[in-house]
Amino acid sequence: MASLLSCFGKSTATQFTTAPPTSPEDPILQRPFEAATLNIRALLSWQYRNAVRDLLGPAAAEVVTPPPDTTVNGWDAIGAAQLSLSATSVDKYESSGQQAAEIAMNDAGARDSILGCVPQSSSDPQCMNAFVAQFGRRAWRRPLSADEQNSWASVGNGAAAAYGDFYKGAAFVIAGLLQSPNFLYQIEIGEADPTSPGRLRLTGNELATRLSFFLTGSTPSEELMSAAERGELESAEGIRLWAETLVNQPGSREAMAHFFDELFQLRDLSQMSKDPVAFPSFGPALASAMRDETQHLLDSLVWDQDGDFRRFFDADYTFVNQDLAALYGVAVPPMCDGFARVTLPADSLRGGFLGQAAFLALMAHPTTSSPTLRGKFVREKLLCQNIPPPPPNVDTNLPNTEGMTTRQKLLAHRQNPSCASCHVLMDDIGLGLENFDAIGQFRTTDSGQPIDASSALDDLGSFTGARELGALLAAQPQLTECLTRNLFRAATGHVDTLGESAPLNQVHASFAASGFSFKNALVETAASEAFRFGAAQAASSQ
Amino acid sequence: MKRFPLNRRTLLKGLGAAVALPTLDAMLNSHGTAYADGAPVPKRFATFFFGNGVILSRWRPAATGPSWSLTEELAPLVNVKSYVNVVSGYKIKIPNLRGHHTGAAGILSGYPFIALPPGGAPYNSKFGGPSVDQIAADAIGTTTTFPSIQIAVSKRLTRGEGPTLQFISHRGPDSPLPQEFNPAALFSRLFASFTAHDPTDPRDRLRASVLDAVKEDTRRLQAKLGASDRARLDAHLESINEVRSRILALPPVLTSSCVLPDPPTEDNHDIGGIEQLESVSRVMSDLLALAWACDLTRVASYQFSGSVGSTVYSAIGQTDGEHSLTHDAQRQNDVHAAVVYVMNRFAYLLEKLKASQEGSGNLLDNSCILFSSDVCEGLVHSITDYPILVVGRAGGFFKYPGIHHRSMTSDNTSDVLLTCLRAVGANVDSVGSEGGLSTALSTGIIA
Repeated sequence: MASLLSCFGKSTATQFTTAPPTSPEDPILQRPFEAATLNIRALLSWQYRNAVRDLLGPAAAEVVTPPPDTTVNGWDAIGAAQLSLSATSVDKYESSGQQAAEIAMNDAGARDSILGCVPQSSSDPQCMNAFVAQFGRRAWRRPLSADEQNSWASVGNGAAAAYGDFYKGAAFVIAGLLQSPNFLYQIEIGEADPTSPGRLRLTGNELATRLSFFLTGSTPSEELMSAAERGELESAEGIRLWAETLVNQPGSREAMAHFFDELFQLRDLSQMSKDPVAFPSFGPALASAMRDETQHLLDSLVWDQDGDFRRFFDADYTFVNQDLAALYGVAVPPMCDGFARVTLPADSLRGGFLGQAAFLALMAHPTTSSPTLRGKFVREKLLCQNIPPPPPNVDTNLPNTEGMTTRQKLLAHRQNPSCASCHVLMDDIGLGLENFDAIGQFRTTDSGQPIDASSALDDLGSFTGARELGALLAAQPQLTECLTRNLFRAATGHVDTLGESAPLNQVHASFAASGFSFKNALVETAASEAFRFGAAQAASSQ
Repeated sequence: MKRFPLNRRTLLKGLGAAVALPTLDAMLNSHGTAYADGAPVPKRFATFFFGNGVILSRWRPAATGPSWSLTEELAPLVNVKSYVNVVSGYKIKIPNLRGHHTGAAGILSGYPFIALPPGGAPYNSKFGGPSVDQIAADAIGTTTTFPSIQIAVSKRLTRGEGPTLQFISHRGPDSPLPQEFNPAALFSRLFASFTAHDPTDPRDRLRASVLDAVKEDTRRLQAKLGASDRARLDAHLESINEVRSRILALPPVLTSSCVLPDPPTEDNHDIGGIEQLESVSRVMSDLLALAWACDLTRVASYQFSGSVGSTVYSAIGQTDGEHSLTHDAQRQNDVHAAVVYVMNRFAYLLEKLKASQEGSGNLLDNSCILFSSDVCEGLVHSITDYPILVVGRAGGFFKYPGIHHRSMTSDNTSDVLLTCLRAVGANVDSVGSEGGLSTALSTGIIA
């Protein structure tokens, strides 16, 4: 920890409030829970697609093209809670809404069940009204007000009259409801909390929405909405029961695959460039297999075994297809054409996520490994530590490094004390992984010289290779604390605040008590006070 | 209501969309400098951006004034040299708190970037104010179907450090404008309205009335929200209005320069993991020239590659990402080669604009294109002696033939931004804030 502090002290950049401390005896954790400000938050593109699927069916979901998400502070959900929608985005929502509605209303077999009534003529205001009320409630995750009801029924009746076709009229209603901010954003305004004056709690509908998008990546089911309206989500225990149900639905596995894709940056694999001369085996198929390997390990740990999540970092097995088996030099069952579980040799430096090609190749350059990028990822994404920005006019000019190993080059960096203070934090992690090249293949030499992959860290200890590093990390409470914080950030669209430390620490305590069952972390995150309560935004910008 | 262009669209409406009209020339006065009704020929503005800077010793001409010669890195501009004003000696004056973030925010907006407190999350920043293209869009983009368009070529952007490094167009801190990477998609978006609609089909009118109801929803929602969410929904409403007027817009007028081509097939997908930079940028440049010729928009931003981008210039035999090359002192020749590659692509755009006739001149005569990067030299993240080109005459505003204008007093790069805005007719008195604030013009390049 001493090295971290000295590094922060030397930073010339803006000093930020430090991250919440993670030691349980720290007095700061005794501070009472203080809810964070609520924001409206745009649905992420995959959540939007899932919601369209659940409202209108898979064919409609197939044709939508929601705008891409923008990551802020590591999470798309944070970008979605801060940024405004551009005209390009609104354009995409407009055409998506129109096309999805058209598909749904052209399907003579399914459309009446979406409408909830059978129109008696091309203009049937009664059916239109009923449809707007019931579909509107589903799409907006709350009942419509009288004004809203009138406004959309009038759009529908007008369009039906213009075409002389009820379904065409209803299609314009669907297209419109799906373009409304009431659909496009998770809207969290809250209501006074009767048990704690001055505090806001999310309404039942808001909580059902937050819970459903978090745990299943889609709009709440009719059952969940009804339960919320009956008050079943008003207590931690009530939420816990529902969360336990939701995490066992298939949507949860998919939603968490998105979470892990983001956290471990697996989606960057499709945009990764590698030197085709140095790595002729690398291509889009191998990049895609790298992502699959990591997701298979997560799938196995979280969903198949409901096991100790820390094993993700030091597991002595992994999942490979033929391409990855060749990359790793391991044998797979000969007739296997998909992924197979393989046990890694006991003396292998590989093991856990940090020994997987996805991490090793992503955190590398096209031709060379990057101990700095690997270390930065571990500090920032796995331990939630801040690495200060490099000094703005940093001089990276080194003496001639021709023929030097990566380790020698990085040590040359350390001649400059303003670089050394932070680089030591990152590089010393990555230097212990130097036996893995830029696509994650095992190697014993670098620039013709034997590799020294031993590393000693002030805060973590000494290690050689990915499996030992993973074991050191797994022994650190910061690792699992950081995971729960990241889960919370993705679920709520904000970086956790100091005022939220106490409830998030409780989530972690429960996660630990469960033997680090990831499902438990999901359920406890949802049940935590930090998830259920909020604070109002300033009414004016002054 | 859209004031411009004269009544060409009304004319077209009477004739039906499929009929090509007399060329634009026929509607100009005898000097080709204005429309017959006295309205001036429109001016256009674009930013053209690439990541990671130049090699200054191979970029900057030795001679200043009118007698400058093309350097190794400027050599690709040989066929448009007279339209190029080289600007050197200027400095980014917003606080220099982080490499690349400072340069990107400084050269594109003049506002200090906003660092987001990470609180245990990765470092991120946002722009502190609107980018210069969006100030131009507010001034000269209000009468066209698209106020501005955002073009990008390389997809190898840094997406983990916030909007500052990812986007080059920003309407404000919370409103970055996403770029279009896919030429085929840009084509559909720009030219969708060329398709003749059945005037008896109420579809477009109903789409617009749906958006009216969405606007009502938005205003009702705003009444329940706090200040920051209300502001976001104001931006959302502005976007809805833009889309609504686009739905109701009439098709563009076909002229000798505005000719509808076959839809491009290039969609910017990698082949064997390699970006098709040349093909993508060629089609994008063709589309930009066409969008201007058809007066679909007058403002654009063109992100060839990103800040801290890891674009690999495979076509010239490179295998490493651009950003990491810049930080290797031994690989500066490769950085140079990449700059020359980018300049060749930039030259293609400029030559395309020059070849697009407009009255007695061409599109380059009536535009201003601001060319720069997120650092001066990537190796050390320098922000002094910034590499800037101002290309195009902007209707006679800039010196022609162009000169090498060098500041000996480290003038503010925002001066150049303000000069470009005034050149295209934006009536603004200042650009940027704090150290980046400018109220002074770069008179050296003004005719």
